[in-house]
Amino acid sequence: MPTSRSSYPVGTISAEHIWKRFKADPTPALLRARIKQLPELFKGEKRGWRWALQDVNFRVEPGEAVGLVGINGSGKSTLLKILTRVMYPYAGKLDVVGRVGALIEVRAGIHPELTGRENIHLYGTLLGLTRKEVASRFDEIVEFAQLEDAIDRQVKFYSSGMQMRLGFGVAAFLEPDVLLVDEVLAVGDSTFQQRCIDRMRTVLTQGTTLVFVSHDLATVEGVCERALWLHGGVARQDGPVREVLQSYRQALEQVAELAADDGPVQVIKAQVSGPDGGVPVTQEPCDVNIVVHNQDSRQCLVVLGVSEGPAAPIFLLSHDSQLNADAEMDIRCRIDRLPLPRGRYFLWMGVFARFHGEQLNWQPIAHFDVTGQDLDPGPPGLVRLAPVHVPARWAVEQR
Amino acid sequence: MSIQAPALDVPAPQLLFRRRIRPFAMLRELWAARDLVMVLSERDLRVRYKQTKMGFAWAFLTPLLMMVVFTVFFGKAVDIDTQGVPSALFFYTALVPWTFFASSASAGGTSITGNLSLVNKVYCPREVFPLSSIATAAVDSAIAATMLVVLFAIYGEVPHGTSVWVPLLLAVQLMFTVGVALILSSVVVYLRDLRNILPMVIQFAMFATPVAYSFDDPDKFSGTFRTVASVVNPLVPVIDGYRRTVLLGEPPRLGLLAISAGVSAVVCGGGYLLFKRLETGFADFA
Repeated sequence: MPTSRSSYPVGTISAEHIWKRFKADPTPALLRARIKQLPELFKGEKRGWRWALQDVNFRVEPGEAVGLVGINGSGKSTLLKILTRVMYPYAGKLDVVGRVGALIEVRAGIHPELTGRENIHLYGTLLGLTRKEVASRFDEIVEFAQLEDAIDRQVKFYSSGMQMRLGFGVAAFLEPDVLLVDEVLAVGDSTFQQRCIDRMRTVLTQGTTLVFVSHDLATVEGVCERALWLHGGVARQDGPVREVLQSYRQALEQVAELAADDGPVQVIKAQVSGPDGGVPVTQEPCDVNIVVHNQDSRQCLVVLGVSEGPAAPIFLLSHDSQLNADAEMDIRCRIDRLPLPRGRYFLWMGVFARFHGEQLNWQPIAHFDVTGQDLDPGPPGLVRLAPVHVPARWAVEQR
Repeated sequence: MSIQAPALDVPAPQLLFRRRIRPFAMLRELWAARDLVMVLSERDLRVRYKQTKMGFAWAFLTPLLMMVVFTVFFGKAVDIDTQGVPSALFFYTALVPWTFFASSASAGGTSITGNLSLVNKVYCPREVFPLSSIATAAVDSAIAATMLVVLFAIYGEVPHGTSVWVPLLLAVQLMFTVGVALILSSVVVYLRDLRNILPMVIQFAMFATPVAYSFDDPDKFSGTFRTVASVVNPLVPVIDGYRRTVLLGEPPRLGLLAISAGVSAVVCGGGYLLFKRLETGFADFA
């Protein structure tokens, strides 16, 4: 695909002061509604614009892997579309050097009436390959997508996972200088997801620049070394992936804390500390102290969880407990050896009673820092589901 | 490295993004995407072939049915002067190139809106969509043109030697067709209403084009009239030209054809620039 004349080396993305806006309210489809709007138009009232991106600066060096994170509607996809040149910015300077390959909704280019074979040719050409190039990679693509048996079947009879595999298979063999990936791994089983990540890693080692948009923060952390956090169309933070993800997770947690509602059980106090009341340390004992106020006498399952981000915990601790009526209860839990590396974590809690449902919704109740050991480093592209510190003794010697 | 929120509510005016139109770079990019035009048009043909029982037979059937209707109504009822040519040949020779234009305009005109899911997600030079619609229409017309051979055989006639002019006429027609398709396809994105009146406009355009009759009679139509007609509708000397060269053995009226070529060049070039100008907003309107 196109190469612009530029002073930057191939594989560079340089986006300076990017602004993008959309019409705030699209023109109503109904004539009746439009007629109602006519007086406003005559008065010269302009329909408002909504900023999707405001003054975003984004620079990626060749061979770098950068993750784009942010909540829904924060402008990630818009920025990616501008980088692919599908969309044009309202203001700003943009330079993407080299051949660009984009994986944005891989199923868009696939026609349901055509067979898998015909679609590979169609989609490959759409992504900027010549017909010859598609033909020479055809067998590899089919093998990667594991569609040998279905290749001459019409795609409308494919499962959604198969369609995704077809699309990703074609895109995986693009060999671009800049690869832009937007949340494409959502479909597809875990084996295929791992294949995709492996493929991305291979592409990375060949020196391709990668921009990766995903809500799967573990994968972002595994694949990227740097991250940009967008919030409301504004760049909030840009830096090493762990730092950025930590602040992002923290912000998400705060939103969740605010959303927590009242139930029969109310948390009054929650604290995580070392045995001496100090900061908990990796592989040392750790105390969780919680005070709750309870309304009705119930036999409950008290569940504690520790997470790095929202919702999905690294581990759970649960205990059957009797909670007395209209009383303040002390809940103490001692973890003998805390399996967490250095970092910031969140304590979640839920209280569930048989036949009476949730007494306390699953919600974050406190955050705490852990000092001590760092996480063992891994190669780029290897996704760790959760940061767990496992003490181990090594021996490497000649036999 | 942390980042501050923008200091301004709106971008500084000197930052506003301006699309620079460099026709040569853009044409080079289009040339690089020529495979895509072919593949997209192949897609349309294959999909149609798979979805209908009669498949490619429709390429013959549409102009053939039109010819029957024309021969019966215009030939018999209205008694059009066919200049001594069998009326079926007279109509079909004009109908094939007209159908090429009409289906290019209607399919090309809706090609961007019809492919919005792609326009919104995959980067490619956007002209490939109207151009591939034209390529599809060209394949259909080529198939329909083979029927001409049959018609010539039935009437025991042969095309005249002046048929060597046909490529020139085709070139002018193609230029005009590309321009119209580019203009329609880009404007329809912003004015979807056009999609609804487009078929009607094409119907009217057929009556303003010498398909069912001929403007080529100096006794009935003055030179001024024909000059004006060629400016307003560049297809006039082209369609009449096909009949003159293939059926009557006369060269096309070069003066009128030159006017037509000039207008077509303006429409084609202007249409391309307009398309490139409007292209920047396609994905926003999706």
